[in-house]
Amino acid sequence: MSDATIEEVAGEALLEPLPDEGDPGRGRTLFSAWHLILLPLAFVMIIPLLWMVVTSFETLNETRQFPPVLVPGSLRWQNYRDVLEQAPFARWFLNTLFVTVLVVIGNLIFCSLAGYAFARLKFFGRDVIFLLVLATLMIPFQVIMIPTFLIVRQLGLIDTLGALIVPNLAGAFGIFLLRQFFRTLPIELEEAARIDGASRLGILFKIVLPLSGPALATLAVITFMWTWNDFLWPLVTLYSEKNFTLQLGLTTFTGAHQSNTHLLMAANVMSMLPLLLLFFVAQRWFIRGIATTGLKG
Amino acid sequence: MNARRILQSEHVVGWAFAFPAVLLIVVFGIVPIIWSALMSFQRTNLLSTPDWIGLDNYRALSKDPLFKTSAIHAVIYAALFVPLSVGGGLFAAIALNRRVVGMRFYRIAVFVPVVASTIATAIMFLWLFDSHFGLANWALEKVGLGPFGFFTSPNGALYSIVVMTVWGWVGFNAIIYLAALQGVPQELLEAASIDGAKSWSIFRNVTLPLLGPATLFLVVFTSINAIQLFDEVYFLTLGGPGTATYVPVFYLFQLAFQQGIAGYAAAIAYVLLVVILVLTAIQLWVGKRMVYYSS
Amino acid sequence: MGQVVFEHVNKVFPGGTVAIDDLSLEVPDGQFMILVGPSGCGKTTALRCVAGLEKPTSGTIRVGDRVVNDVTPRDRDIAMVFQNYALYPHMTVYKNLAFGLRQRKTEKGEIDRRVRSVSTMLGLDDLLRRRPAQLSGGQRQRVAMGRALVREPSAFLLDEPLSNLDAKLRVRMRAELKRLHTRLGITTVYVTHDQIEAMTLGDRIAVMSNGKLQQLGPPQELYDEPTNLFVAGFIGSPPMNLIRGRAEGGRITASDLTFERAGVPDGDVAVGIRPETVVQQSDGLPSFEFLVDVVEPLGDEIVVHGSTAGTPVETGAEEEELPTMLEGSRAPITARFDPGVRFHPGDRPRLGVPAERLHLFDLRTGAAIR
Repeated sequence: MSDATIEEVAGEALLEPLPDEGDPGRGRTLFSAWHLILLPLAFVMIIPLLWMVVTSFETLNETRQFPPVLVPGSLRWQNYRDVLEQAPFARWFLNTLFVTVLVVIGNLIFCSLAGYAFARLKFFGRDVIFLLVLATLMIPFQVIMIPTFLIVRQLGLIDTLGALIVPNLAGAFGIFLLRQFFRTLPIELEEAARIDGASRLGILFKIVLPLSGPALATLAVITFMWTWNDFLWPLVTLYSEKNFTLQLGLTTFTGAHQSNTHLLMAANVMSMLPLLLLFFVAQRWFIRGIATTGLKG
Repeated sequence: MNARRILQSEHVVGWAFAFPAVLLIVVFGIVPIIWSALMSFQRTNLLSTPDWIGLDNYRALSKDPLFKTSAIHAVIYAALFVPLSVGGGLFAAIALNRRVVGMRFYRIAVFVPVVASTIATAIMFLWLFDSHFGLANWALEKVGLGPFGFFTSPNGALYSIVVMTVWGWVGFNAIIYLAALQGVPQELLEAASIDGAKSWSIFRNVTLPLLGPATLFLVVFTSINAIQLFDEVYFLTLGGPGTATYVPVFYLFQLAFQQGIAGYAAAIAYVLLVVILVLTAIQLWVGKRMVYYSS
Repeated sequence: MGQVVFEHVNKVFPGGTVAIDDLSLEVPDGQFMILVGPSGCGKTTALRCVAGLEKPTSGTIRVGDRVVNDVTPRDRDIAMVFQNYALYPHMTVYKNLAFGLRQRKTEKGEIDRRVRSVSTMLGLDDLLRRRPAQLSGGQRQRVAMGRALVREPSAFLLDEPLSNLDAKLRVRMRAELKRLHTRLGITTVYVTHDQIEAMTLGDRIAVMSNGKLQQLGPPQELYDEPTNLFVAGFIGSPPMNLIRGRAEGGRITASDLTFERAGVPDGDVAVGIRPETVVQQSDGLPSFEFLVDVVEPLGDEIVVHGSTAGTPVETGAEEEELPTMLEGSRAPITARFDPGVRFHPGDRPRLGVPAERLHLFDLRTGAAIR
């Protein structure tokens, strides 16, 4: 793909309204044969989630039945209370939130600065450096995990939340995403601001970023999801239970409560809740973010 | 040139802006890539001083039956996961690209698994696929099949992981296909219908070729993903039963962080890197010939 | 055989937008019919109804001798050229041309023969193996035409096919289209918002506004005898000047312009002056004082913009609302002269118009008074 094409496409994906946004219900068919496909499809996709939620309200006894109990006798909120008592879930939750929020903020700041520099400023070595950044976009983390571990250990961050935060404060994805977006903005605005005497930092914060809401929201939401759900890196760097993230906590909890399915499901529901809420609130940014991932090639 | 001028030059401002992010990416991205390469030529346990042993790690790797098993599993896994998740994503996207009542619900249902973490997904499927009390076995029994052991069955564990991860990725792929479908100009479909094409022919001759770039991306992307399979294996099977679900990254993890054979693990990492680079190169190469728009 | 007929066609979009309001129109076999009007007037919807891409809410559409309301686009025996050409980007020019025939299971040799004959006719022979992205705008336009031609349909539908070309190319392609139609004689329905295209290409023109047919007739007739204010304002460039006036006992007064016309009922009127009917000497002619504002020498003619005392009249055909820079109670006037006249901004010549060349419209209904 030529450079120009990527930019245009990536820019459009962020700017254009997604399918059906804005005209709810207009011109829709009440019933169509597609429902016969859509309904089973949606059903299959939603079953694991639904079954998790249902089980999280059952008693231990109800989970040990075959055929399975499809409707619990009562809504046992007690399961959720039990989980919170039997494991430091609140602690894990706060750890995860702390890490995630810092990583999101770090990405928004550092990727904006770097993205703007790569998009608009001509500085010595820019193209070579940008190529290096792009190269890391293609390298999966698993491949470089071992030396990264050694570097983080050298920095004294092993078994601290810093191990999860520091290496992830900026990333190639964010830089690339924002650079592409910034380049779709009309440069005349920035030129006008420069003529009015604004500094580069002023232009970035007063002109460019206020116009980049969609791209920033996309980056924030996607980074949030990645960080919240990350498993392998916390597994490698964290040892003490008090420092665990939710994903890590879940695995220990599963180990300790192998057969307490009802508690396991309650724990799982709680671990997913923040992202599910975020998904419902910021669905369009999730979808945009993923649609943009598809264009990074 | 006075100091103020220098401070305001694009070189200085550009570097100042890019520096924090670039530093992080160099330290935690570029350096490890090179270091990894060096480690793969060393004997090291992450603690003592490494010895330089040249290609010995790679030689040993070529004869290692467990690596071979892992690689075969990765290939089998990818051969199933890639077509199923990409095909499923395409199917879902087409179904979701309609104007029918309830679309909001259908879309949410298909997209929502995307936000479930690998561990959360694994916990759900652990229960769904429970060999004694699982919903899946109950449903299979109703149609006269099963019961299956799923993750505990030596023959079925890998396939169970395929089913689970396809569930987790169909939504992602569907979103990308949906975006691509929205990018197919309406007039082209209209032109084809006036040219006399029936709906299947329009799909075959116009829609599908125009989805080519998206398909290419997804095939490569999900392949790279398949090679990186780890979380589910670590959480659900630990490579077992026996070695039924050993895959390269799990093997690498065990070697480096549990057995302290880091140089050897780095060699595995580099083999994976080469495979991934080849896949990426294919994507770029094929992609170049697939861009029809010059707009 | 190849006629296209609309009978009381209505199209209401979900949400209540009326796109076509009781359109009846007959395009006889072999005729070049233009649908023209400002954007949103329903012309494209009308064309898409013929193509089968939209279904009329009520009324009948006929292609040839068949009612096609429930016929798929595939079976309507029509071909269409889209505004953005809609060339299949992944197919070569050859495959683009052949696609329609292949879909109809035409025999291979026959496909090749027809593709080659069309490509020769349109000068596409050297481009057959290229993809649309490798073509210039004009070439793409010709491929789009070719794709319609190979089908040898009973009617052509063209939706603003020249609007994406630059001005020079557009003039050339216009002539080429006309030549092609003369040669092939296939019924053509051509949608445009450009009234010059409409005038130069059409055998007949249908002017539409707000989903309604305003006037139907040969180009010159529309120009000479617009039936209402909308058509008067829409056809002609620069458009007809219109000043508010009053008729009383056969005597019409619009600011300082007065003339007599028998049989005009008393009431408020709009007086229309075509820019080229204005003459410099005013002896014996109805005349008005003209304040020169801007002089545009175009080489073959001179266009002079200015104003006269009076109230301007809106026709509904204005492209967009332009804030007038004239003081209140002045109406803008545009006049065209042969080269050689000398005007300067600020001049106040008296201009005359032959009384029989003045147009009159009922200000209340907008209808022409004849």
